[in-house]
Amino acid sequence: MRKLALIGLDCADPVLLAELLPGLPTLRELAASGSFARLRSVDPPITIPAWMCMMTGKDPGELGVYGFRNRKDTSYAGLGVASSASFSAPAVWDLLGERGLRSILIGVPGTYPPKPVKGILVSCFLAPSTEVAFTYPATLREKVKALAGEYLFDAREFRTEDKARLVEEVVAMTKRRFALVRGLVSTEPWDFLAAVEIGPDRMHHAFFAHHDPRHPKHDPASPFRDALREYYQLLDQEIAALLSDLPSRTRVLVVSDHGVQRLEGGIALNEWLIRAGYLALKADSLEPGTRLGDLVREGLVDWSRTIAWGEGGYYGRIFLNVAGREPEGAIPSSEYEIVRTKLARELAAIPDEEGRPIGTRVLFPEEIYREVRGIAPDLLVYFGDLRFRSIGTVGWGRIHLRENDTGPDDANHAPYGILIDYPSEQKGGDRSILEVKDLILAHFDKEAS
Amino acid sequence: MSKAREIRLSEEVVRAIEAHLVELSAGSVEEYVEAVLRERLRREGHLASYSPEEEREITRRLRDLGYLD
Repeated sequence: MRKLALIGLDCADPVLLAELLPGLPTLRELAASGSFARLRSVDPPITIPAWMCMMTGKDPGELGVYGFRNRKDTSYAGLGVASSASFSAPAVWDLLGERGLRSILIGVPGTYPPKPVKGILVSCFLAPSTEVAFTYPATLREKVKALAGEYLFDAREFRTEDKARLVEEVVAMTKRRFALVRGLVSTEPWDFLAAVEIGPDRMHHAFFAHHDPRHPKHDPASPFRDALREYYQLLDQEIAALLSDLPSRTRVLVVSDHGVQRLEGGIALNEWLIRAGYLALKADSLEPGTRLGDLVREGLVDWSRTIAWGEGGYYGRIFLNVAGREPEGAIPSSEYEIVRTKLARELAAIPDEEGRPIGTRVLFPEEIYREVRGIAPDLLVYFGDLRFRSIGTVGWGRIHLRENDTGPDDANHAPYGILIDYPSEQKGGDRSILEVKDLILAHFDKEAS
Repeated sequence: MSKAREIRLSEEVVRAIEAHLVELSAGSVEEYVEAVLRERLRREGHLASYSPEEEREITRRLRDLGYLD
């Protein structure tokens, strides 16, 4: 049985990777001898739910998971952080386990708390710490410590101007993760490996302006202008070392959950909703950066006069205040579609500071998902097709912001990630993230026949 | 890990687990039963994935990472 190793590089982008490939001998060889395709992510192209969409073959609507935080109920404050318990659809490793095949799973976003698997699992950056049960089996944690020392799920204190420390942190994290992966594939039985490195995403958000000359914040004299390139060289070396530990006929997939693009600014979503008469607050003056969630908890939203409110992040989510659904719904259900369509049109027309169109896309869940489970946002908003962040905080006194409201950030997500398939007879073309599960199953079907 | 209490399982179930520990990827009967029950209880909404303190900390980190605001 030929093994299959899936190496996940969170946020690895096809355009950026193509630019860097000449200096990445291992990835270049995999892409040249196999195939290198763009991998269309889901909407939204965000780590959660995208990785679990890849592993289950289900879209966010089918999973009922629309982001890191989702509405648990139709109350105004009922938000919960997604965890492995949010994903009820079987993942590819569950299906392989039913066939008697063993998996090694490391860092796949959406796997904390760990569920029992046929094989072993080290969960992802959503684990609170290494003090909790973050592995299956629980006793695996001792081996993690032995192989990787102090295991780093993620970069600590990410929003920093101390870029030198951040590079050291991400490099240390990546080296320890690959040390763990190499240690486990060399000592544990397995058929399928899925190991996801979160480092590329963190480096993109922190250093994209330093790398990209077209970025509005680019400084060609930055001492960190090569930080991204050098990090990819480290990744390439680590992947080469890992491949040397794998049986020679192992099939290798290098994949990402979404791509990256430069972040050009932010649109204050709730500020705009207030100005446009959709959201009414009971407070007159607010500190810049006040969270709407805090105002909700303090009873400072006038729900009787509120039509819609928003959640910010890399993309915007709009929730309508519907009679019979929300506790103090203000929109008669018979007017829901009229209001939603009008709001979508107005959101799409928000211009930049100079009054120029920015190409915002507004998505309707029932049009982009095969099924809509759980409590979906009424609208998804990609300001400037994700070149602008959705700022959910209020008190800014303006709609357009140059900086992220949560700290320095150079990048936003892009809809296409990567799929390198080695060896592969198929060349190029675009693939869907929802095809990857079946690609893996088909590999093992072929091997079993 | 929270404090532990002893419970009793039938001899038949314990023997079945013991016979398949390697296949079940578990080091002991207790480890396997705990993991399976935790997963089941979480799926049915009877056991939270995070304590309130952990959820606050994760939310803070997700804000720091830019996923939330």
